[in-house]
Amino acid sequence: MTPEAPELNALLVRVAAARDRAAFATLFSHFAPRVKAYLLRLGAPPALAEDLAQEALLSLWRKAHLFDPAKASAATWLFTIARNLRIDAIRREKRPELEAEDFLPESQPGADDALALAGEEVRLRAALKGLPPDQIQVIELSFFADKPHSQIAGELGIPLGTVKSRLRLAMARLKRALGEAE
Amino acid sequence: MIRHHPDEGLLLAYASGVADEAMSLILATHMAYCETCRAEVAKLERIGGSLLQELAPAPMAGGALDAVLSRLDTAKPFVRRPRTVSRDGTPDVLRRYIGGDLSQVRWRPAGAKLSYLPLLRHGRVAVRLLRGVPGAETGAHHHQGQEYTLVLKGGFTDVTGNYGPGDLQVMEGDMRHNPVADPGEDCINLAVTTGRLKFESPLLRIVAPLFGF
Repeated sequence: MTPEAPELNALLVRVAAARDRAAFATLFSHFAPRVKAYLLRLGAPPALAEDLAQEALLSLWRKAHLFDPAKASAATWLFTIARNLRIDAIRREKRPELEAEDFLPESQPGADDALALAGEEVRLRAALKGLPPDQIQVIELSFFADKPHSQIAGELGIPLGTVKSRLRLAMARLKRALGEAE
Repeated sequence: MIRHHPDEGLLLAYASGVADEAMSLILATHMAYCETCRAEVAKLERIGGSLLQELAPAPMAGGALDAVLSRLDTAKPFVRRPRTVSRDGTPDVLRRYIGGDLSQVRWRPAGAKLSYLPLLRHGRVAVRLLRGVPGAETGAHHHQGQEYTLVLKGGFTDVTGNYGPGDLQVMEGDMRHNPVADPGEDCINLAVTTGRLKFESPLLRIVAPLFGF
């Protein structure tokens, strides 16, 4: 059975609070194969995808105390870990990352709460599934192709403007799903 | 009040990890000033998280879980890099590239009214700090690639409008402009260029490459 967002968040909180290895093993079984799939989609060779997926989950163990379920779901948090690991390992570049303490005084972040976030994730995934195929395609390519939109347009054989308008339509629907709780 | 934001495509490039180091730096620095774009990126990352959830799992190698479990006891907890203290409100993400505060920059002169500091170069992509005294002009130019300019202090004005702290200007190659620093204080910008600047003045055309522009 696939654990749902609130359960995954709770497992991650248990890893942070109690260094719970059983909770970690469940998170590993759920996320490692997805992180591996993500890296394969982005063109990583299988052995590297396997290694980096293991590293990503090891990072989850090492960084669990930084996880804040009021700010992001476990899936979103792991997505950012996998994204940054890939940039580090495959592109061999640094990623300048904004940290929470880095916000200038006039722009404090707004407070979220964990329950609203979990509800959002359910709505967001439903919205993703409800998108027309051509919109899903440009969203997926935006996240999984590591290419600028001009190149995506070239490979799909459609004008750049079409890629952008599909993306805009898809984003509007996804953000509506995100915004309903606000 | 920030009036000029990166468009959704740029924020998506940042959130998905497609943006290179130079673009990530200027976008992250913009977000240090801009709560709106920070919230946008947080939404885009949630979309990334949902896509990750929906991916068909790729089976891990046999023994992968045991291999990682055996490393847990010796894995050191991650410690955040200690935050350096800025005395003039320079965002930390930018301080790491400057090696200090904006007020500590050792500017290199480029003419009487302009100075600069190179921060990063990958091939044709260059990141620089630029400073102009009030009234300073860059000189009319267009671009071989794109030019992204983020105002850090002061402001400037050109045919496309007026830009103040936190504002990001995006110029495509064929767009011509001649930015002029606003009166009052020095204008300090963070700029990313993806190709050479094409100056109209014959003198600047000769001199600019000497400074790496």
